[in-house]
Amino acid sequence: MGVSRRDFLKAGTGAAVLAATPRWLAVHAAPGAPLAPPITDPDVKPLALRALDAARSAGAAYADVRLTHTYTRSFEPYHRTIEEAEEMAAGVRALVNGYWGFASGPYWTPDEMARLGREAVAHAKANALGAARVVELGKVPVVADGHWETPVEIDPFTVPVDEVFDYLRGLMIYTAATYPGVSAQVACDFYRQEKAFASTEGTFVTQTLYRTGGGFGISYDNEKYRTDDRLPTTIASPLLGRAGRGWEYIREAPLREEVPILMARLEEDWRLPFKPIEAGRYDVVLDAHGVSMLLASTIGAATELDRALGYEANAGGTSWLNRPLAMLGTEPVGAPLLTVTGDRSTPGALATVKWDDEGVEPEPFTLVKDGILADFQTTREGAGWLAEYYTKHGKPVRSHGCANAPSALHATMEHPPNLAITPARSDVGLDDLIAGLEKGIFIAGLTVDTDFQHLNGESRSGRFYEVRNGKKVAHLTGAGMLFRAPGLWKSLTALGGAKSLEWRSATMPKGEPMRNGAFSVGAVPARFKDVTIIDRTRKA
Amino acid sequence: MRRRSEPRRLLEEPRRFLSQDQCEALAQRAMRFATGGGDTALYIDTWWSGEMRWGRNRVTLGSDRRNNQLTIRRSIHEAAASVRTNQIDDVSIQSAIQAAERALAYHPTSPEDIKDPAVHFDYLSPAIWSDRTFALGASERAAAARALIEPAEQAGMLSAGYIEVRGAGRALIRSNGEPLYAPYTQAQCSMTVRDPQGTGSGWAGLSSYDWGRIDGAALAQRALQKCLASRNPVGIEPGRYTVILEPQAVHDLVQYVVRNFDLRDIAEGGVHPFALRRDFSKLGLKVADSRVTISHDPMHPDLGVVPFTPSGEPVRPVTWIDHGVLTTLAYNREYALTKLYDNLGYPNTLSYQMSGGETSVEEMIATTKRGLLVTRFSNVSYVDPVSLLLTGVTRDGLWLIENGKISKAVKNLRFTESPLFVLNSIEQLGRPERVFSPGVPAIVPPLKVKDFSFTALIDAI
Repeated sequence: MGVSRRDFLKAGTGAAVLAATPRWLAVHAAPGAPLAPPITDPDVKPLALRALDAARSAGAAYADVRLTHTYTRSFEPYHRTIEEAEEMAAGVRALVNGYWGFASGPYWTPDEMARLGREAVAHAKANALGAARVVELGKVPVVADGHWETPVEIDPFTVPVDEVFDYLRGLMIYTAATYPGVSAQVACDFYRQEKAFASTEGTFVTQTLYRTGGGFGISYDNEKYRTDDRLPTTIASPLLGRAGRGWEYIREAPLREEVPILMARLEEDWRLPFKPIEAGRYDVVLDAHGVSMLLASTIGAATELDRALGYEANAGGTSWLNRPLAMLGTEPVGAPLLTVTGDRSTPGALATVKWDDEGVEPEPFTLVKDGILADFQTTREGAGWLAEYYTKHGKPVRSHGCANAPSALHATMEHPPNLAITPARSDVGLDDLIAGLEKGIFIAGLTVDTDFQHLNGESRSGRFYEVRNGKKVAHLTGAGMLFRAPGLWKSLTALGGAKSLEWRSATMPKGEPMRNGAFSVGAVPARFKDVTIIDRTRKA
Repeated sequence: MRRRSEPRRLLEEPRRFLSQDQCEALAQRAMRFATGGGDTALYIDTWWSGEMRWGRNRVTLGSDRRNNQLTIRRSIHEAAASVRTNQIDDVSIQSAIQAAERALAYHPTSPEDIKDPAVHFDYLSPAIWSDRTFALGASERAAAARALIEPAEQAGMLSAGYIEVRGAGRALIRSNGEPLYAPYTQAQCSMTVRDPQGTGSGWAGLSSYDWGRIDGAALAQRALQKCLASRNPVGIEPGRYTVILEPQAVHDLVQYVVRNFDLRDIAEGGVHPFALRRDFSKLGLKVADSRVTISHDPMHPDLGVVPFTPSGEPVRPVTWIDHGVLTTLAYNREYALTKLYDNLGYPNTLSYQMSGGETSVEEMIATTKRGLLVTRFSNVSYVDPVSLLLTGVTRDGLWLIENGKISKAVKNLRFTESPLFVLNSIEQLGRPERVFSPGVPAIVPPLKVKDFSFTALIDAI
């Protein structure tokens, strides 16, 4: 019997870890033995409490600790490559006189936990020597012992590597054999994060979060139809992206049936002529993908409360919604048909958790109601910054559960929850919106860049089509979309119905050092009027 | 690599990151777990980072973070596979080795793997370690932050900023080669000062391996002055302007040129800004103004980098563009061996210096009839990677120059321009200076450039 990490975890000193004493050297683990105890193991909680005790003894008014254990595994079947990575981390946050300190490291040992607790307090104290600062943490119910797992049908890490490769390579072989001249590109990756959270308020919760990502596309070049070199020969399927699901996410996607659909889409493209763009104002239809990217980069980023108040000024930037208390409930950010919600409990979405990284159970909330700014994304500290507004309107001063960090190596900060546009009540789909366009432009797969206030932006990529009498008639070369976020959202004239809702994954970098928070965006196709279309490749 | 004496500071203190001995011992342990022959390599990035962040004139977080990133690579015959972990106990390492060997069984070939254990390289010893940086503790960082915030607060402005000091070691230890290890430090300081109404914003920042080479007080003054002077900007029409680009603004563009110094992309038939046509590069051709030389000497006191690449290649001095002529494009050792019958590649570390001139920014302004003074660019992205056409926005201070004088603060503009056009439209060059570029030091001059293309007005501040 070898030394497992459970022994390691119970063992004494951090110094022994660093020096890796001969005792550790001699030992081989039994093949197939679990790498570490599961996060629900009874030894994890004492470890967490050790950090809190150390922080409290050192003088913390409040402290919390997170332990994370993250695995990733990705597959690329063409070269048969597998990449695997593992990261363990522990991080302690302490509050002293209104100032925060944070300490983190890679070792889960009792001594290290105590060191992190003391270190976090020492940093908070060093900062607290300056001018006074008040932090009021929004109240949250204490959860004494909770555990939650992303509901997955098949834990992707239990699927044999051979099975994954067989499945992915099977798709490639099927495509090449069934459709001569067509080749499929496919890949997938798995993520599992086990995490524990404990606070000096008495909360202790553990979670196991899963994410599965994939990509599927085809390459196809039929000389009979493809008349112009500028026409694309590859196309990606919208069926796969990234989701808070297991192996079933890949298995359930009807990828074989998707091949002829993608071929037809390419051939439809090839029949259209090319036309240089004429800059001007056009009615524009975006697919659900484009609307989700637009939403994430504009309203999604601008309603992060720390950005809005200037805390991110030196990093990713601020927000055009920069006077939260004056703007809440009154500031128009879009047409009356625009309602945007935030929700970290959406099944299968990337930011979905039972508790956030401050132990708060998130609940759905409305960011934009009928075109008016209704709320911001908040953490416990952030909720306090809006106390005046919440109290005046009889709302509880409560975090929306947006505290998040990629792992315990990073301090928590506010990151977007899953965002969604409320679909229209009617049953309108993308084809209906295009069919209703007498003269305008349809943009497929739009992505955008914005400025540091998420106010002005330009398209980064996307395929632009001229639409006449409801039909796509030409590709528009060099076309780009230029916009000012509130103006664009106010020019929204139609949204797709619930059946056209699609979920996409998004990330929004922020912080120093910079890191990303992953979230899902649910969006429907939409029509906008009088959108500025430019020749993107043209200089002044 | 010759073992260098450990920095004094490292010997005196408890470890905040793994030492050379620890890395080598770790690798020895790992190699014992390898089965089935072949070679094993460990690439280790082990670091400690002390951080201080502030916003709205108050410190929002002080932190101490540490981590080890191990990349364990197993290779047998032509196949290679690697696995990453941040754990250093035997169970974790053995598990990682097993995962790499499992992946190896699926991975048919890796042309990158070069087997010649006998080759010995000489590695440079750049200046990349500073005791001052490593010794800057939490209370010193807090005191520094307060000193940086104070001028802004006294002026009734809001400061947000960040200080980071880092001590780290990078190691490459192979079963078929000599062990490499380099300890290094990094320091950075930057801040944004805004007026409470959000009508003005100024920025200043600097990075170096040595905290002592960062003059925080000067940065704080600069950010404050830029904020005050940028308030209540007026809108101007986009179009072509003569621009005076401060060194940071030049770096924000020229770093895209440096990133594209790559021969292999061209050799493999890729479309590329430095491809003349398919399979042919622009080497030997003039690509920039004759006054432009872009080079990197790792032994320059302000341009030190870790002297080996992740695959163990030595970093060496290189001149990419010499008086406007493209003279070198980067390639790795495998390419050198197989295509050029040479033994060494030219790694591109992205660190660089660009030649300058003697014109001060004040003289550039004084000699400009109508133009714009640019502090820096932000949110830059490619429009067309082939022509290197970029788009992005100005940020934290943009001023109109009329008749040799700064006449007013103007609203930010979106640009659509290629840095190669910029390097061919230079009117005047100033003294090169260090800029904010954490981890990849750069020395860049201010430039006066004609006909720079601004394509849209943006009203973000």
